[in-house]
Amino acid sequence: MEDCKENNCIIDITDITKTYRLGKIEVRALRGIDLKIRKGEFISIMGPSGSGKSTLMNIIGCLDTPDGGSYFLDNTDVSQLKDSNLADIRNKKIGFVFQTFNLLSRSNTISNIELPLIYSKRGSEKTRKAKIYESLKAVGLIGWEKHKPSELSGGQRQRVAIARALVNDPAIILADEPTGNLDSVTGEEIMSIFQNLNRNGKTILLVTHELDIARHTNRIIYLRDGLISNEESIENPINADQMLATMPKLEDKVSKSI
Amino acid sequence: MKRFSESVKIAFQSLAANKLRAFLTMLGIIIGVGAVVAMMSIGYGAQESVISSVQGIGSNLIIVTPGNREEESHGFEQMIGEDKDRKALTVNDVRTIEREATLLNGAAPAILNSSVVKYLNKNQRVTVYASSEKAEFIYNFEVDKGNFYTSSDVLNSANVVLVGQTVINKLFGRIDPMGKIIKIDGKNFTIIGTIKPKGTDQFGNDQDNSVTIPITTAQNKLYGIDYVNMIIAQSKSEDTMKQASYEVERILRRAHNLAPDEKNDFTVQSQTQLLDILGTITSIFTITISSIAGIALLVGGIGIMNIMLVSVTERTREIGIRKAVGAKNKDILLQFLTESVVLSITGGILGIAFAVTVSVLLNNFTILTTNISAFSIILALTFSTVVGLFFGIYPAMRAARLNPIEALRHE
Ligand SMILES: Nc1ncnc2c1ncn2[C@@H]1O[C@H](COP(=O)(O)OP(=O)(O)OP(=O)(O)O)[C@@H](O)[C@H]1O
Ligand SMILES: [Mg+2]
Repeated sequence: MEDCKENNCIIDITDITKTYRLGKIEVRALRGIDLKIRKGEFISIMGPSGSGKSTLMNIIGCLDTPDGGSYFLDNTDVSQLKDSNLADIRNKKIGFVFQTFNLLSRSNTISNIELPLIYSKRGSEKTRKAKIYESLKAVGLIGWEKHKPSELSGGQRQRVAIARALVNDPAIILADEPTGNLDSVTGEEIMSIFQNLNRNGKTILLVTHELDIARHTNRIIYLRDGLISNEESIENPINADQMLATMPKLEDKVSKSI
Repeated sequence: MKRFSESVKIAFQSLAANKLRAFLTMLGIIIGVGAVVAMMSIGYGAQESVISSVQGIGSNLIIVTPGNREEESHGFEQMIGEDKDRKALTVNDVRTIEREATLLNGAAPAILNSSVVKYLNKNQRVTVYASSEKAEFIYNFEVDKGNFYTSSDVLNSANVVLVGQTVINKLFGRIDPMGKIIKIDGKNFTIIGTIKPKGTDQFGNDQDNSVTIPITTAQNKLYGIDYVNMIIAQSKSEDTMKQASYEVERILRRAHNLAPDEKNDFTVQSQTQLLDILGTITSIFTITISSIAGIALLVGGIGIMNIMLVSVTERTREIGIRKAVGAKNKDILLQFLTESVVLSITGGILGIAFAVTVSVLLNNFTILTTNISAFSIILALTFSTVVGLFFGIYPAMRAARLNPIEALRHE
């Protein structure tokens, strides 16, 4: 496990616990997780259903707070912050991508991508437009600005969600099973986007059930019963762009435009 | 303020997504506000036209009616009067007042009745104002053609008549009525003049559907009575109205030989008193209607609260998404509060539009006079905003307090 003394860790988690109580039943979802992630890493988390992956992601994403342990995000202690401060961190430091996309169904691509900007004060109208355009370009959705989620394919919806996660230039992108609802080719396209973002310096943490997807990242962390059971470094991660070249093309609009 | 304009935009979007539902929700507010504004316009309109018509009969008037109404002075009863002392006032009283009063310009008696007038084969039911030659100035009868009847006409019970415009139109059309003979209750009268149009009074009566004849003619030849319905006296100035009223009272008490412990068998009222009474009547009307409308607003508010609670439940996932990308509790609160206020203000504006339409229609197609005041519109908008805030705050707080993870998991 890496050392965080040199302050190059974007995420520094020590002994984090989380217990859910449903009446008399206690579910110990996390039982002491230590996790250090350096800037620019691309990490995947694997593990059986119920092992606590989403719980961990929610805590890292500041959607939830741990019961015990410490969590430093970008050198700030976020384990004990108030709701409104957590909201600020979600807005500026974290980009979340969900399995089920979680787009606003009544809003078009542009409005969906713009959403985090509405809740942050900084930036003129002009810089906002520029940010939206940049995100749009990064996910290869130029030309789909006015489409509603219902008029987009699953892969395109997930790209909108990634663009939304990118728009405020967060320190880290968290993706909970981002390819879980997509076919393999589309999943590969999404991984290509993530790899490109990572190549440009973004720290990315993703949860997946598929080893093929996990092997696109630099490090795999295995979770079991609320504990990290194993860790594996990937020496030669799969290159999504190369993979796509060998795959039958379902769509022409592959993410070559990045 | 980007966030606020964004909330307003979102509010309109989400209302537009459920137009029928939004409209039905607003209906309570629309009806409530519409009722308040329309009723207030009727109230104000009535008040205004009553005031102007009371003032229209002349200024600084003192009105004497038979019977003592000090004790049971309640609204219309006061104007209608009771029977006991019905015959208390006579033409002689008018003469005594005119002779002895020092603070008056003059006094005129009046008998009001409804009769059928006839010219050749045409009939028309009209109001007959019987008075003295003083009525021309005190009662503001403006003569159009010809002349008003004179004191000698009054003295001689002359069969002369002045006719209003409606009567002319109905009986004569384009024929010149001057000098023509008409029948009032079967008696012949010569038309010696016409009266300028006066319009309708506060009760919607056509004041031009009237004729005026000398009081003595009415008493002796038509009705066979020796009393009058009322006496109208005019004070020399506004400042001496009170003293003039007392003077009239004193003169009449002596003329009626009333002992010091006896009550008046007549009532003296100044124009201002009359206006006050009418004002009270119309404001009671306004208050009553407003409270009914207030209940409608309350019901409308509950409707808004209900639909906002439904909306919060339906949009739980949206709330989760917004929170996940950084919306604070207060952003969500503001968003839903804005939505309920937009709902109630839109309802308020539609209600005002509805009331304006009703008011204009009433004005043009019924006897009612209406007047939409700026005050009632401001009041309506204030009330609908308050209703939106009051009934929107609880649902908005529910939305703001949602846990983002649970909200995101919501189906
Ligand atoms: N809100 C909650 N209330 C009660 N128990 C919960 C709650 N959220 C999660 N749990 C429990 O905590 C444990 C870990 O759940 P978590 O969602 O983190 O698993 P996961 O690894 O993401 O599973 P999957 O692969 O199926 O998504 C599970 O046993 C789950 O039932
Ligand atoms: Mg999960």
